[in-house]
Amino acid sequence: MNTIYIIFLIFLGGAVFTYFAGKIHKVLQDILFLVSILVPAYLFFANVEIGQNVNLTLGGISLSWGINYFSWLFSLIVLGLGSLAAIYAVGFMKGEKRRGYFYFNFILSIMAMTGILLSRDLVSFFVFWEIMTWSSYLITIYNGNKVQSIGIKYFVFSAIGAYAMLMAIVMVHHITGSFLIGDMIHAYPAMALSMQIWIPIMFLMAFGVKAAMMPLHVWAPGAYSNAPMAYTSVFSGALSKMGIYGMTLVLVTMVNHIPQGVWFREVLAWLGGITAVIGTLWAIQQDDAKKLLAYSSVAQLGYIITGIAIGTELAMLAGLFLAVMHALFKGTLFMVVGAIEKQTGTSNFTEVTGLIRKMPWTFLSALLAIIALAGIPPLGGFVGKWMLYESLITSNHYLLVIVIFFASTAAFLYCYKFLFGFFMGQEEKEWAHVKEAPAVMVLPMLIMALFMLVLGTFPGIILNPINHGLQALGYADSYKHLWDTSIILNSWGNKVVLQPILYSIAGIFLFFIAFLTWKGYKNTRFISTKDISSSGEVPKEDENLTFSVGFMQPFYRAVEPAMRRQIDKYYNAFADGLEATFEFLRRIYTGNGQTYAIYVIVFVVVMLLFKDFLF
Amino acid sequence: MVGTPVLFIAIPLMAAFLIPLLGMIWKELVRIVPGLVLTYLLILSINLLDHVLAHGPIVEVIAGWGPPIGINLVFSALSGFLVVLMEFLGLLVWAYSYRFKRNVDYEPALKYFLMLMMLITGSVGIVLTGDIFNMFVFIEITSISAYGLTAFYKGRNSAEASFKYVMMGSVASTFLLLAIMIIYAQLGTLNMADIANKIHLMNPTLKIVSYIFFVTALGIEAEIFPLNGWAPDAYAEAPGPVGAAFAGIVVKAAVYAIIRYTYTIFDLSGTFNFLIIIGMITLIIAETAAIRQEKLKRMLAYSSIGQMGLVMVAFGFGTEEGVFAALFLMLNHAIIKSLLFFSGSYLTYNSTDKKISEVNGMSKFLPITSLLFALGAFAIVGLPPFAGFWSKLAVMTAAADSNMILIMALVLIVSVVELVYYLRVVNRVYFYKKEADVKPKRPTVNALIVMITLGAIILLVGFYPDAVTGLLHKASAGLMDKTQYIHNVLSVR
Repeated sequence: MNTIYIIFLIFLGGAVFTYFAGKIHKVLQDILFLVSILVPAYLFFANVEIGQNVNLTLGGISLSWGINYFSWLFSLIVLGLGSLAAIYAVGFMKGEKRRGYFYFNFILSIMAMTGILLSRDLVSFFVFWEIMTWSSYLITIYNGNKVQSIGIKYFVFSAIGAYAMLMAIVMVHHITGSFLIGDMIHAYPAMALSMQIWIPIMFLMAFGVKAAMMPLHVWAPGAYSNAPMAYTSVFSGALSKMGIYGMTLVLVTMVNHIPQGVWFREVLAWLGGITAVIGTLWAIQQDDAKKLLAYSSVAQLGYIITGIAIGTELAMLAGLFLAVMHALFKGTLFMVVGAIEKQTGTSNFTEVTGLIRKMPWTFLSALLAIIALAGIPPLGGFVGKWMLYESLITSNHYLLVIVIFFASTAAFLYCYKFLFGFFMGQEEKEWAHVKEAPAVMVLPMLIMALFMLVLGTFPGIILNPINHGLQALGYADSYKHLWDTSIILNSWGNKVVLQPILYSIAGIFLFFIAFLTWKGYKNTRFISTKDISSSGEVPKEDENLTFSVGFMQPFYRAVEPAMRRQIDKYYNAFADGLEATFEFLRRIYTGNGQTYAIYVIVFVVVMLLFKDFLF
Repeated sequence: MVGTPVLFIAIPLMAAFLIPLLGMIWKELVRIVPGLVLTYLLILSINLLDHVLAHGPIVEVIAGWGPPIGINLVFSALSGFLVVLMEFLGLLVWAYSYRFKRNVDYEPALKYFLMLMMLITGSVGIVLTGDIFNMFVFIEITSISAYGLTAFYKGRNSAEASFKYVMMGSVASTFLLLAIMIIYAQLGTLNMADIANKIHLMNPTLKIVSYIFFVTALGIEAEIFPLNGWAPDAYAEAPGPVGAAFAGIVVKAAVYAIIRYTYTIFDLSGTFNFLIIIGMITLIIAETAAIRQEKLKRMLAYSSIGQMGLVMVAFGFGTEEGVFAALFLMLNHAIIKSLLFFSGSYLTYNSTDKKISEVNGMSKFLPITSLLFALGAFAIVGLPPFAGFWSKLAVMTAAADSNMILIMALVLIVSVVELVYYLRVVNRVYFYKKEADVKPKRPTVNALIVMITLGAIILLVGFYPDAVTGLLHKASAGLMDKTQYIHNVLSVR
């Protein structure tokens, strides 16, 4: 039997067995859970050859599964992050309720994402896409909080997207007579103009929802923050990348072939830019770390969308590199929040502070991830952002550069808030009992932090598969031309030489570290919140004096007018209006038998009156 | 051959006479015998279907009078498929309700099982018959049993619901009889094949009028808007398994009748578009009404109406693909909606109002029932990898191939509405706190077996649709080939 079948069978069987194993023993359940994620991941990377296809027929529809260099790149994110998050989840879910439910859906969503990457035909693509949606939906509502608002909102947006995709799929089938993706790509240049425009739009709707692109992003903050953090790292890190994966495919294989494609690209790039700005502004305002990271994910996905929408070689490299980096650092950060929540019971900055000496390893991974997110060398985020700026400038998107630059600079504010809020600040007695998270949770975070560090210096490790993937999509080889293995040892970039910049940044950084250590060593004083010897006021007993309260207020006041109009409100008003209309329609059924009899008579009379028109 | 189609009518009728007598010997026989009859008929129908798929349709002549004079029964791939489905669901309904209400004593049980058996017999008769007056008789048998079952609880509300049903049903039979009279006056024959053969001789206006009357009459039974006023009340007030029988058996028979008239008998232009229009209106109104319901069974009833609207739309494409999609939808709807009615009845077992809010937190007390309800909800909105997905895909493919892009968009938008109200209920079952005064009732063993069987079928069809698609393709090809049907019937001597 082919390895691909075995992978799916292990996933499926593993999900079911893991679910029921909880009835026997908890440890057995954990082991089965790990086995059913790690074994398929191992089999995938060890045995599945690139370019190999398996075909099967189901319900009269021929399906085809296989992998190419491009989807292999994304499977790195899905299965790599998925495996680490699975290890983390075992620690995270210890002692929680509904473990079987969580594990079952976790495995299924990893399976679905793998399936999406393996699908070479639209039907299995759609099937896996929907399985991914409902399994992630079920985890989103795991806590039982706000299931009817957050959960249903996520599902409705996903369903609208998925149904748009379904329409596109059957229309493609009508035109080509086949569900194979390859046939669709071949037939696309010869389609009628209206089809050439509508089919990408409908696909992009589906992918835009999952990639949290404005204005389809409103579900994301709620869903990301409501799911258990062990899953959110996959949700934001890998699942959203499925949207990016699909978007890239649509842009490269379809939109590139029509002259109107320029407009698609411009609109998408701008939507990505606006998403980045809005997400960043909202992230700054949050006091809950989960919400902050959720909005920050939306913002980061905005950069990625901009990158792939610009579509030059460099922009594609930047977008995909950022996608991998985002999976790493946002996965780590969500794990960090999960660890803190697990140990302290809250994820709010205004409550928990000063954890640096209690959770040092968590802090270390958070620090590295934040540096990567902010785009400071020597971590990976820097390279990605640098390439993105360069590609925007070389393709003459000067206005967009300003937008992205604003978002990325403003992102420092929430990065700072996150790091400082949790780890620095006064050490409160309330949190004196807090200990470092268990090793199963810390280890995945540290591994990912290590990856970020390595990739920051040697981005070539990941740019090489990206380059292969892009070549599979028809781009030219860009090795030694646009990128190289290391940013320090090799020559880099075709416009600006990177090394002097890097050295000067590193120099400044080291100087400040030395300066601050020397300066700080003398003045360090450990104080509690109530120690207000430096000010003249006497606080009230119930006043929250944690310094994160009202953080960034001046900044927020400055941007507040721009944030007053929320798209979310319009959607909610629309939904309320619809429900009111439905209530009105429902009243057609009066419950009165006489009325129903009149309906019959009216029906017959109308039919007889219009009979010449109808028949 | 192991039997003939006439047994589907003869055996239950005979059993119906014998059951009260057997009940005098041992009261339990009243409950057991219908099950035995249904089991035998199910096996018979499967055997016959097997034979038909290999050797072509069976046309049974009753009392030696060949067509077009005598009554004949036609067991083709299409009607065979529906008969198997109906007998199977009938058996499940019987098994489910075997001890549904333990406190029900002898006399109601006798009536319940007799009427249930007659309901199934009538529906099977509608599907099998090749004669329009004979069909009228079977429709009456079905309706009268349905009235009785609706009023089974003898309460004020069920009596009212049943009365509404009677009212609409009698309007339906009046129109049906009128339509038959017009046809007989014009063509002098009642045999479907013969009518189809001679329909071009008919006065065009009268042809249209009789079609309208047929559609009105059958539309009442098939729950087409605006003729379906009886349905929500009847579903809500009838016992839970009867709701499943209505959705899975009675309505299917009525839809079959409409389709037979539209595809085989009448040669009017515009009937397909007409089906799409009324189907679309039914779908939209029913699904939007469903989202605002407060009672679970009522919500399921509206959802059922909506699905029938979608079936009409799929038949309205007029292509073989469309027929295939419609039959697939009918199969899925029969299985999934029955599961929803079965499990939903236990979720609201001890409540008088059957409010949706009373299912809150039931998953802790009825884990398997809740899981199956959730499975049914996921399947009926068409999420893969469950059965409903394949029929949805088939409908969409057929719509795209008929260039009905607007219809596709509308159907999908309505699906989102459907998704919302089903998920709301499932969320309540799993994530809400149970209200203190609600007492959960554990399902009986046979009910559990029935529900698990249906759940297994949903998964089977979901993972391996080939299990049914071959049969459905043959059935749809049979419906499209009108001349073959006429030839088959009229060549029998």
